[in-house]
Amino acid sequence: MKEISFRNDVLPLKDKLFRLALRITLNREDAEDIVQETLIRVWRECQDGKDIDNVEAFSLTVCRNLSLDLNSKLEQRNVAFDEDIHDQPDTTRSPFETMVDHERFQMLNALMNSLPEKQRTAMQLRDVEGRSYREIAEVMQISESDVKVNIFRARKAMREKLQR
Amino acid sequence: MDYKYIEQLLDRYWECHTSEEEEQILRSFFAQKDVPAHLAQYASLFTFVKEAQEEHVSADFDKRFADILAEDALRHDTVRTHARTIPFRRRIAPFLQAAAAVAVLITIGGAAERAIGGSQQEEGTTAPVVANTYIRSERVAEVVSPVDSKNEATAIVQPDSMARAQMGVDVQMKEN
Repeated sequence: MKEISFRNDVLPLKDKLFRLALRITLNREDAEDIVQETLIRVWRECQDGKDIDNVEAFSLTVCRNLSLDLNSKLEQRNVAFDEDIHDQPDTTRSPFETMVDHERFQMLNALMNSLPEKQRTAMQLRDVEGRSYREIAEVMQISESDVKVNIFRARKAMREKLQR
Repeated sequence: MDYKYIEQLLDRYWECHTSEEEEQILRSFFAQKDVPAHLAQYASLFTFVKEAQEEHVSADFDKRFADILAEDALRHDTVRTHARTIPFRRRIAPFLQAAAAVAVLITIGGAAERAIGGSQQEEGTTAPVVANTYIRSERVAEVVSPVDSKNEATAIVQPDSMARAQMGVDVQMKEN
């Protein structure tokens, strides 16, 4: 069994976990809390001697489950996106281009966030994180064909929106 | 420029038939500026994905997380200190060990004493045993018949002494 280092194997996953948690909870603070909880839980499992083949997939699974738990506790919040991170000025582009990019990002992000949880999680893991269908199936605890169905529907919804 | 390959890839992308490498090709293609008009409508999807990949935790996340870890470690240590209870069996283990040691010593001592006592008996206690046997049998006889036990005992012992005396006479006669 490979020895797992918190600093080298677990902590670097924080951004990936954050993106997944944010995609599910749609709230930055909740997502960060979930990332912290996930990192602690995964590390404890490692210390308890649990045999974890794929730390990343296991962490994503824990992160998703915690996010879903939180969503079931709280009311579903349809906040489109926390804007502060995209308010930083980009000096390489004109203000008009920046505004158009910002609006486009907001629109697509809102569209993706409006998809059912399974579809947006599957699309997030495939298109944003570049995971294989097998890994996504493992994280979401569904079959690979179900993963493909969810991604197909999510892409179709995005495509229809873009064609309008 | 022929964009047939990209169009095919795009068709397969919508159908979820593209590999990770092929999807990367699409992302690279749509990241460039000169995208043909009939494909431009999809460019925003791939650039959106690229931007979404840059999403990250806030700048003070590491510091807050380090504080949480320190608190968590402290809480765990405290809990461990309070929760550590010594089981009853482990608490009395030293006494049980001492008792076992004493028992072993007693057993060995007893066995040694018996062995030493036995050898002593073999060396010089045959006659008293015989005498005791006679006395016991005499007591039994006393119960059975009202005969003078002292005389009886003497009578029983007498043949022995008489025999010895007889042997002495024989020896004297042989010497003569």
